[in-house]
Amino acid sequence: MSAPPVLTYREVRKLFGSFVALGGVSMQVERGQVMCLIGPSGSGKSTLLRCTNGLETIDGGEILLDGVALARDERGLRDMRRRMGMVFQNFELFPHRTVLANVALGPRIVLRMDEAAARERAEALLEKVGLADKAGGYPANLSGGQQQRVAIARALAMEPEVMLFDEPTSALDPETIGEVLTVMKRLAEEGMTMIVVTHEMTFARRVADWVVVFERGLILEQGPPAQIFEAPHVERTREFLSHLGWEG
Amino acid sequence: MRLDWSVVWQNAPALAEGTLLTVVLTVVTMLIAVPAGIVLAMMRLSGLRLLSGASAAYVEFFRNLPLILVVYWAYYVMPVAVGVQLSGFVTGLVALCLNVSAYNSETFRAGIGSIRKGQTEAALALGMSRWQVMREIVLPQAARRVLPVLASTWVSLFKDTSLVSVIAVGELAYTAMRIRSQTFRVLEMLTAMAAIYWALGYPQAKLVDWLHRKFPVSE
Repeated sequence: MSAPPVLTYREVRKLFGSFVALGGVSMQVERGQVMCLIGPSGSGKSTLLRCTNGLETIDGGEILLDGVALARDERGLRDMRRRMGMVFQNFELFPHRTVLANVALGPRIVLRMDEAAARERAEALLEKVGLADKAGGYPANLSGGQQQRVAIARALAMEPEVMLFDEPTSALDPETIGEVLTVMKRLAEEGMTMIVVTHEMTFARRVADWVVVFERGLILEQGPPAQIFEAPHVERTREFLSHLGWEG
Repeated sequence: MRLDWSVVWQNAPALAEGTLLTVVLTVVTMLIAVPAGIVLAMMRLSGLRLLSGASAAYVEFFRNLPLILVVYWAYYVMPVAVGVQLSGFVTGLVALCLNVSAYNSETFRAGIGSIRKGQTEAALALGMSRWQVMREIVLPQAARRVLPVLASTWVSLFKDTSLVSVIAVGELAYTAMRIRSQTFRVLEMLTAMAAIYWALGYPQAKLVDWLHRKFPVSE
């Protein structure tokens, strides 16, 4: 018997008032898989990510982490969030803490690691994202790309089973996008399970194992990147990609 | 008209004692009213109807009454309510705390509300509890942001402590007025009182200005 998928979505529905953000989405994420969610703005891909770690509650269907339905109660939800790292579009580093403290905060507060161990883990992760020399500085003194790399290190500090990236490069200057994507690519190569909401088609084409195209709260098409980018089965996928200037 | 300033020097020890009491009143009031303000603000933002309703009622009640009325009210009502005659100092302290807590609550509520929702979400995503998010992420940032406002409240409070003189608390205003009525040196005592309040208030006001520059409201 094979292990259950890390994440399973069954007919997930989410409403904002009368607006259907997710109209019944089913998909699954296997261990070690890098999945890119693409599609026009407002198509539900970010909402799906936010529902995954309970920042939004779903209105129908279910989401399973390692075969277990996502908890609804505060404590259960907290236990599941520890196992998922989240990276936000606007970084959301804690401006009143140093870079090192930002990364060490989760282990210290949530995992209750002692100061020295948390610090050691944070230093190692900053090294990994190439920012060991910025450990003592404050987020405000970093470039956008550097802040996002710290945010990735902060999420990794919880040693999550899966990383959720919500448009991680959308708020960045073009010249710093590359350094963030490089870190993400390295993470993918190390076997991290990742779900990435992105408009970076080159990244999706090269790094993803599986691409899911969203439109109006539904999955338009999903498949390996070669299919989505070279020979989409659905005409709307081709149209969406050509709007972005993707020539195939 | 002849001015005789010797009355000020002769009563210097009494004035010093009064000044000290004014400072103590200000400090102790703030020490109580800051945590009380945080608690009231968190009650208001808790989303629990009973708590937020109680907090709102409290704040709107005490914020909209003249402080001097609250002082009198505490003086006459507290002994009946608690069943013991409290000293003028404690009574005055209670009245000041009731008033300043209400103001501080609004200050903290605005401060907490000014912290981006994304900060809370990022902390929740790490697996923190609501309380941990408040303690580690939201309150420290909010405190920094409201510091200049709290400092302004402090300076107002420093002067407003003079209102408890109406119930015979021997702080600076009461002491100066008492000496005035004993010696009939009205102009000298009022001038001395003004000079002391100003000399102590001015550096505090400058400190507030400095805090406003040091911690500007910005993202």
